Amino acid sequence: MNPFKKDKKQVSIFVTAGYPKLDSLKGQLLQLQKQGVDFIEVGIPFSDPMADGPVIQETSSIALENGMKLGLLLDQLDALRNEVHIPLVLMGYLNPVLQFGLDAFLSRCQALSIASLILPDLSVELYETKYKEVFGKYKIPVTFLITPLTPNERVQRVAQVCQNSFVYLVGQNSITGQGYAINEGLSSRYAELKKLCGATPLFLGFGIDSKEKKEQAFKSVDGVIIGTAYLKAVKVEEEVKFVEGLL
Amino acid sequence: MIIKVCGLTDNQSSMQVANLNGVDYTGFIFYEGSKRFTETTLATAKQKVGVFVNASLQYIKEQVIKYNLDVVQLHGNESPEFIRQFPKNIKIIKAFGIATEADLEATQLYEGLADYFLFDTKSESHGGTGTTFNWQILDAYKGSTPFLLSGGIGLESIEKLKQFTHPQLAGYDLNSRFELSPKVKDPDRIATFIKLLNMKTTSYLDTDPLGFYGEFGGAYVPELLRPNVEELDAAFNSYCFTEEFESEFKQLLKDYVGRPTPLYLAGRLSDKYGATIYLKREDLCHTGAHKVNNTVGQILLAKHMGKTNIIAETGAGQHGVATATVCALMGLNCIVYMGEKDIERQAPNVQRMKMLGAEVRPATSGSKTLKDATNEAIRHWINHPDSYYLIGSVVGPHPYPKIVAYFQSVISKEIEKQLLEKTGKTYPDKVIACVGGGSNAAGAFYQFYDNPKVELVAVEAAGLGIDSGKSAATSVLGTPGVLHGSLTLLMQDADGQVTEPHSISAGLDYPGIGPLHAHTIATGRAVSISVTDDEALQAALELSQLEGIIPALESAHALYALTKLELKKEDVIVVNLSGRGDKDMNTYLEKFPNL
Ligand SMILES: Cc1ncc(COP(=O)(O)O)c(C=O)c1O
Repeated sequence: MNPFKKDKKQVSIFVTAGYPKLDSLKGQLLQLQKQGVDFIEVGIPFSDPMADGPVIQETSSIALENGMKLGLLLDQLDALRNEVHIPLVLMGYLNPVLQFGLDAFLSRCQALSIASLILPDLSVELYETKYKEVFGKYKIPVTFLITPLTPNERVQRVAQVCQNSFVYLVGQNSITGQGYAINEGLSSRYAELKKLCGATPLFLGFGIDSKEKKEQAFKSVDGVIIGTAYLKAVKVEEEVKFVEGLL
Repeated sequence: MIIKVCGLTDNQSSMQVANLNGVDYTGFIFYEGSKRFTETTLATAKQKVGVFVNASLQYIKEQVIKYNLDVVQLHGNESPEFIRQFPKNIKIIKAFGIATEADLEATQLYEGLADYFLFDTKSESHGGTGTTFNWQILDAYKGSTPFLLSGGIGLESIEKLKQFTHPQLAGYDLNSRFELSPKVKDPDRIATFIKLLNMKTTSYLDTDPLGFYGEFGGAYVPELLRPNVEELDAAFNSYCFTEEFESEFKQLLKDYVGRPTPLYLAGRLSDKYGATIYLKREDLCHTGAHKVNNTVGQILLAKHMGKTNIIAETGAGQHGVATATVCALMGLNCIVYMGEKDIERQAPNVQRMKMLGAEVRPATSGSKTLKDATNEAIRHWINHPDSYYLIGSVVGPHPYPKIVAYFQSVISKEIEKQLLEKTGKTYPDKVIACVGGGSNAAGAFYQFYDNPKVELVAVEAAGLGIDSGKSAATSVLGTPGVLHGSLTLLMQDADGQVTEPHSISAGLDYPGIGPLHAHTIATGRAVSISVTDDEALQAALELSQLEGIIPALESAHALYALTKLELKKEDVIVVNLSGRGDKDMNTYLEKFPNL
């Protein structure tokens, strides 16, 4: 069963674990679940987040200053195991995961029933040639990114590899948190990508910041993932209102 | 090894697969119970295999004639008697499902009847399960008919396939793991498989198709950068070995950079250390360091690619200056990212870049030094995929390490010629170079990597000392990790966060080293030595007063290695003097106030 397949459009929120406070994650997850978010992406902070814009960079470095570590993050999730029922996805750069030990990490993820992993600097070819076996051992599906520029055949390949999770569509070629308009050209490309993904759900992320944009995205994809805009709201303690306005 | 791809039909992806180099047999499944059942085949020059399961001789013969099949693969319970009825000039592959050693016994009855056996994962459905079986069982196969290995082989099987050997193993049968859906094959994956399989790393400089030197390297980049690195690799491979490129590159290196740089026999230094010591004078390059060799090469590549906006990262500012220089030369826009801290520390180089027309953008994130400037440059590249990222050392995602090493290889190519003139031999006993990211070292070692007679000495900055917590000795303190797009040795904490290095020399102040160096150091081909801030200062002063050459602080690290190595009278040593000391005068002034 693919937990990301639903017959309704979905909304997911990205939170940086350990931001703004070391122990903020618990409250954030429970609140988001209560507000009806479909699934949550928990960001593993990293010192050198090369695909992220200033907002996520800042949350990441504050989380690290707060003392967030991957082991602690997993412990925090463990403590919430009986309270969080919506799917959890872990998202982070590869290095902290490698350093933790891929086997150890995946076995913890399995125990926590993590629904999928997103490791943006791991490409589908590296995954297939070097890492697939160990991921398979713990049965954790990996989610890969595509962009509007990804060639069609590659989209199909990614969709196939992600058949037990989803494909993450980066809305335009840019780092996280850059505003852009979903113009006609983009939305028809999204629709085309949606077709190429077949049965694998396609979610749009990077740069979704409003209800309007969400609705627009819903016309062509299965759901949206919101990170920067949510974290900006967290900064001013208005995240509850933000999510309310979004849903 | 024979590569057979099975489950093809007459569609476009099948045609692409049949056209791939390295694919020998194309398989078409004439079995209605299969998801890959086909009633047609392709027009291909490759050997065509028809796969049948318990079909009648009549039916099989009809298909052989109709589709001009070269080989018949029998994948059911066909008996030896049945096979004896086949015309002799049809090649036969007999398939067996294997789950235990006992399944091998049946093969004895078929010896001499088939050209090949095919060993597949045992299943009710006659193959196509997509899972592998335990190949070790085949150790018990002692027959004389060669076999193909089948069942669930995928890209992830490469390592194991390479380890599995058997005297009768003739090839591999690829199917379900190489398709986008049943009947739609993925030619990309098959091509990668063939490349990886055939790869022999004979040279330390060879990378595998994914860009790995041994276990280090690769392109760990987000999907957003995939088109960029692929475009770059294709452009480098197609352009940088043409006569047009080579003549332009050579011309600029000669007339603009001032190459060849001298190979200078340092007499007084030789006397002091009791060996014959040559200095490769990269300090005499235009802009004062070897960095410009690479920027000249890359700017020609960028121009060829039609790029007009150039971005770069810089630490001390040497690479930034070298980039700004060639951008001025070519009339291209130049943005250099530089850590906010480095901008303060390296004011004269900031001014040089500005005079050369470049924009210097501060990197204000993280530790505000070189690694953060690199992050910013990469982010800029993601947002502006039409710009050209001109990286300054043998670091970053594949193909950068390969490209930068190639452009710097001019250093050792000259050393070979110059040594021949001076010593009658083309190679020295030792080459010594400092390693920040490792571009001057890669260039100085390049021609000698595969000559085991030459000792390669990579000198890293120990900062205040290896154990001081303020060091940049990556090969000692680092562990494998991923930063800036490659898997390499990296200074990091237990949680995988990258740590801030320290060295008195800004050019060596980087938490990683190029994957080529990680590979050659890890495999013992190169040795690494660490030299502290104070030792480097001492070596800088010594060279100034013995030879009248004020070296860059980076190069001074390489010089100090002379003290640490055991040298013999007859040894011929080359020290790569990567840069001149002008940029370090402030540090020298501060450290040697009472000269
Ligand atoms: C003179 C000099 N030598 C060496 C280096 C270190 O770089 P690499 O290890 O890439 O040669 C630098 C870097 O700025 C430099 O300026």
